[in-house]
Amino acid sequence: MTPNICFYFQVHQPYRLRDLRITEIGRDGVDYFDHAKNGAIFRKVAEKCYLPANALMLELLRQYPAFRISYSLSGVFLDQCEEYGTDVLASFQALAATGQVEFLAETYYHSLASIRSLPEFCDQVSMHVSRIQELFGKTPRVFRNTELIYKNEIAQMAREMGFEGILAEGADHLLAGRSPNEPFRPPRFDLPRDVSRLIADHRPLTKQSNDMLILLKNYRLSDDVAFRFSDRSWIGFPLTADTFTDWLIAGGGFCVNLFMDYETFGEHQWADTGIFEFIHALPRIWRERGVGTATPSQIVDAWASRQTHVYDAHAVISWADIERDLSAWLGNRIQHAAVDGIYGLEQAVKETGDPELLRSWRKLQTSDHFYHMSTKYWSDGDVHKYFSPYESPYEAYRRYSHALCDLRQRAADAPKTQVPGRNQASIFEGLRRFLSILNTPFAIRNS
Amino acid sequence: MHHVSNFYGNLIVLKSQEIWYNHEISCNFSQPKNIHPPVAFHTLMFGWEYPPLHSGGLGVACQGLVRGLMRNGVQVTLVLPHASGQAEPGLDIRFPTDEQCATVNVPSLLQPYDGSASYRNRLSAACVPQEVGELYGQDLGEAVERFTALSVELTKNTDPDVVHCHDWMTYDAGIRAARHHERPLVAHVHATEFDRTDFHPNEWIAGRERHGLLAADRIIAVSGYTRNMLVQHYGIPEDKIAVVHNGHDAERIEATDILQSQYGGTERPLVLFLGRLTVQKNPWQFLEIAHRIHAIDPHVQFVLAGDGPMLGTLIERTCDLGLQDTVIFTGKLSQPEVRSLFTRANCFVMPSLSEPFGLVALEAIAHNTPVIISRQSGVAEVLDHAFKVDYWDADKMADCILTILREKPLADQLVSEAPGILRRLSWQNQAAHVRSIYHQLIQ
Repeated sequence: MTPNICFYFQVHQPYRLRDLRITEIGRDGVDYFDHAKNGAIFRKVAEKCYLPANALMLELLRQYPAFRISYSLSGVFLDQCEEYGTDVLASFQALAATGQVEFLAETYYHSLASIRSLPEFCDQVSMHVSRIQELFGKTPRVFRNTELIYKNEIAQMAREMGFEGILAEGADHLLAGRSPNEPFRPPRFDLPRDVSRLIADHRPLTKQSNDMLILLKNYRLSDDVAFRFSDRSWIGFPLTADTFTDWLIAGGGFCVNLFMDYETFGEHQWADTGIFEFIHALPRIWRERGVGTATPSQIVDAWASRQTHVYDAHAVISWADIERDLSAWLGNRIQHAAVDGIYGLEQAVKETGDPELLRSWRKLQTSDHFYHMSTKYWSDGDVHKYFSPYESPYEAYRRYSHALCDLRQRAADAPKTQVPGRNQASIFEGLRRFLSILNTPFAIRNS
Repeated sequence: MHHVSNFYGNLIVLKSQEIWYNHEISCNFSQPKNIHPPVAFHTLMFGWEYPPLHSGGLGVACQGLVRGLMRNGVQVTLVLPHASGQAEPGLDIRFPTDEQCATVNVPSLLQPYDGSASYRNRLSAACVPQEVGELYGQDLGEAVERFTALSVELTKNTDPDVVHCHDWMTYDAGIRAARHHERPLVAHVHATEFDRTDFHPNEWIAGRERHGLLAADRIIAVSGYTRNMLVQHYGIPEDKIAVVHNGHDAERIEATDILQSQYGGTERPLVLFLGRLTVQKNPWQFLEIAHRIHAIDPHVQFVLAGDGPMLGTLIERTCDLGLQDTVIFTGKLSQPEVRSLFTRANCFVMPSLSEPFGLVALEAIAHNTPVIISRQSGVAEVLDHAFKVDYWDADKMADCILTILREKPLADQLVSEAPGILRRLSWQNQAAHVRSIYHQLIQ
């Protein structure tokens, strides 16, 4: 039996920060974000990637009625579509209309809320689910966390939220020789009662799910396309659709999960590398060779209640870098200071009940802000620097810390309209305890 | 005096060769015999200043390079215009005696080219320490001429493989010695007249520089920034220029705590400028930055360490800006005082207009001080863990400083990561590049 191919593309754009100055802190209506730059980058990526890639996908979906793909569009990406590219949004809606495309759920602000604030995590997932329903008329059934940040607790939280599937990185150390080409299950355990109660109160879907399957990224085959496709020093260069199909079939299993950034097409791998022709050829070859495609929820349905292995992630994993951990966002002092700073404002911001303040606070939670402060590959003379809109991690932090100072001041100055009730205060306390447990293995490893 | 130094020098030469042979022997133990050991080079170097008698980066860089070359097995004969060089094992230092100086008649070049005021500026701008100036009377041109005239006399008993000279004051001496010994000439550029004068060069000096650069077989620039300067303003072909960034060797000497009490203890944040008070180093901009910061946080204290021709103007400007209680001028400081100040400072600023390299930024990093440097500098090419700002952007520099003072995690992060560059840019590593340049020239 040939495996099913499960394509999932991540689509996301952060709101990049303006060159904020200390003299602006506390002034009326300070805007933290660089609209000119955000607009320019969005249009550039739209022309190089989103529009041509969506046109290609639409053509393929029409030509091959059995062809299936899935996307996760971050909420901040959808917001930017409204600001800078309704044409891009329309092209995604056209894909949705084929009925062959699935949209996954994620945190609206592409944030680290899952490891820092449970109420915020629940709120952002709910916001995202409603937005997807509103724009595409579909309710997500499968969850994918920011940058595939994953841990046993996160899988259980997602299950209690109502999701039937979750995506994660197929990390070698957790697979321990097993193939990623089959759905896995998280270990079964109960979350603390106050956590479950909070999730029940903020559940994005109608009821919790009884079962949970994990779809693991086949990082070797995914990265062959996403990272190595145009690498002339790679032994697989030039990669043809035929050869790649040979590899997919050779891997066997139930499903091969090819997870990658959508910007792979046209932005990371430029059009002149032949990446569009490569994708164009795949559905035809797959049909000829009997290889099917499926969306994550189709995989979940097809697997149903069959037995499978347990994927046991005690420590947090992600799809980032070789380390596959949180060190891209929480690897140094300035990153910790920034993340602590923003989540430290949660109560103060929420108590104001000011929607504008809340939105600014949430836009500052986008994980890219912390990623741009990474000094991991910023070692002297290292050419593998992270892509960043800023000159240095320090410049990223300078801008961010000013925004944080301004936000802190605005929250302190604003009248408190939402006095935390008994319930809410105790929830905060309980969750803090839970999240400290959640973060423990990472903290221990770091010390 | 001359005889003593010569004798001492020869003795040392022997010693240094001995060290080299030892090195070869140790190589032979670990390597197959058919591999030829690297050739032991002898470089004849013309320097202008050398610690302890030096006014800026040129002397420090020269010393670092000399020591680095010796550690790379290169035999060094260093010729200086005055008896200042610090004796060190393995180094042959030579300088003219008073009698030799007296026998040389050189015309004064001062009168035809500038008045005494502009000459004084040039003297200080050209990094000539006052003490050295006094040694040679008040005429820099005359000093240069004398040095040139004696270059062969002082070195005729040497047998160098290569002649290496540092900045325009030594170029003619280098040219003459290279011709005499029939050896290739390396011109090492630590600064150009364009850097020193905010792009209003003294034509006489720029002419000397161009002449030396054209005569050299190979040019070493201390940064890509300087290489571009040589290409753009001197018309030197790019492929003639090699870039070897300056190095840094940490010398751990205990800092004195004299300054702690003098500058009001540690409760007030302290922002430091250290360098000669000349147009090039842009202390004027430091006051502009201080002015902006003072308006936001009057608690911050500023220190300008160093002296120079702009001192008077800067003090006036400080008073005009109402910063007399906020800015401290220290004058020239001793090394322990400098160390103590670096250690005490919360942040170091190098706002130079045009800085070929900027060793002082590495000094600051070695003392765990966060740095903000002008983007118009050579050191900006090698420093990653620092703020780099255009020299004219006082607002942004002030903002970076205030952010470092406000955000302890940022200061800690900069301080923990920046010293990585010091390990990479050791003088031994940088001198190895110079050695390979010699190798190419000799072959």
